[in-house]
Amino acid sequence: MDVYEVFRRSGHKDPFEHCGSVIASDSEMALLMAKECFLRRREGQHLWVARRTDIHSFKDESLLEIAADKSYRFPEAYRDVVAKREKARARAREVGAAAGESNR
Amino acid sequence: MTYEAKLGGFADHIAQGGKVEAEDWMPDDYRRGVLKFIEMHANSEIMGALPERECLPMAPTLRRKMSLAAKIQDEVGHAQLLYRVAEDLGKSRDAMYQDLVNGRSKFHNVFHYPVFHWGDVAIIGWLIDGAALVTQAALLDSSYAPYTRVLKRICSEEQLHLRHGEHITMELASGTQAQRDMFQDALNRWWLPIIHFFGPKSNVAKDLLLRWKVKTRTNEDLRQEFLDRYVPKVLELGFSFPTPVPTRAESGQWLIKDEDIDWDPLDAIKRNEGPETERRLTTRRDIYQGHRWVREVLAEPAVHAA
Repeated sequence: MDVYEVFRRSGHKDPFEHCGSVIASDSEMALLMAKECFLRRREGQHLWVARRTDIHSFKDESLLEIAADKSYRFPEAYRDVVAKREKARARAREVGAAAGESNR
Repeated sequence: MTYEAKLGGFADHIAQGGKVEAEDWMPDDYRRGVLKFIEMHANSEIMGALPERECLPMAPTLRRKMSLAAKIQDEVGHAQLLYRVAEDLGKSRDAMYQDLVNGRSKFHNVFHYPVFHWGDVAIIGWLIDGAALVTQAALLDSSYAPYTRVLKRICSEEQLHLRHGEHITMELASGTQAQRDMFQDALNRWWLPIIHFFGPKSNVAKDLLLRWKVKTRTNEDLRQEFLDRYVPKVLELGFSFPTPVPTRAESGQWLIKDEDIDWDPLDAIKRNEGPETERRLTTRRDIYQGHRWVREVLAEPAVHAA
């Protein structure tokens, strides 16, 4: 008997999500168990099962940390766009005035 | 890292509201405590199926029979989910089953009592499931994360069971005198066990599960929430409570005096000497033996004909 992890997809717009595990002798039986445990009320449209030992993950969770400052990957890094926009407008007025003068 | 250093790190993690996964390091008493707690919950779900199973032949209509059967299936399903979470903490399902059927582990007090008629189904479905839902909802924020994930599903199904129980209660309460008498009779028998269900006052200093935030609220706090929520609902239907009678405090809370609670029946149940303990455990043991062949068939990988 093996532990099988169970994944369920509720519709076509969402990805498969882990929803629990069952114990079974093979994948066919695992699917049957998973259906009885996790799909009694149409909670989803499709199921996957995978033997727990076939799933790989990081043994050391600290490896999941982002090593260096990569704040530029996040929207918060661009919050000062508001101040910059103001500055850009002021600058436009400045160069616009100058351009207007030379056109005259 | 020394054990003390690991323990200190774990305690800090918990104190800051951190969660624990099955594969994380945890102190032995945390592992043992969580395992015992979830095992007891699983045992209660599967033992809880038995009294309601005894009620199936009493169903007044085919539809009621089918809906009760579906509810029993849900309860057994909850046990499956919970045993699976408990197994990952290091005890096999077979060991948990052996301990259950041989009386070495516990299940909730309310499942040690007999059922007599359809009024019992109303009480079990409405007030006992209502009490269970108060306690389970409080566990949704438990520090042991795998437990909270299955509880999310369990609580959503329990909500439905509560509606189911309320539906049956309202039918009896709005019916003939004989129907109303059934509900009152069941309430008279079940009220004390329901109060026991929450347990005696928590010992906050000694309770490891509270300290490790496996449980998030004290027994008396949960009991109070239950009383404030359900006592007015029962009274507005014109039923009355036996001892311990709840009384309304000036604060608006519904209080029960500690000296009005007779704890002897609960102590007997803890010694496995409840009114139905032996018979229910025998039933569970017989089912376990009788279904051995099913487990053996399921344990064999399928052999497909060529």
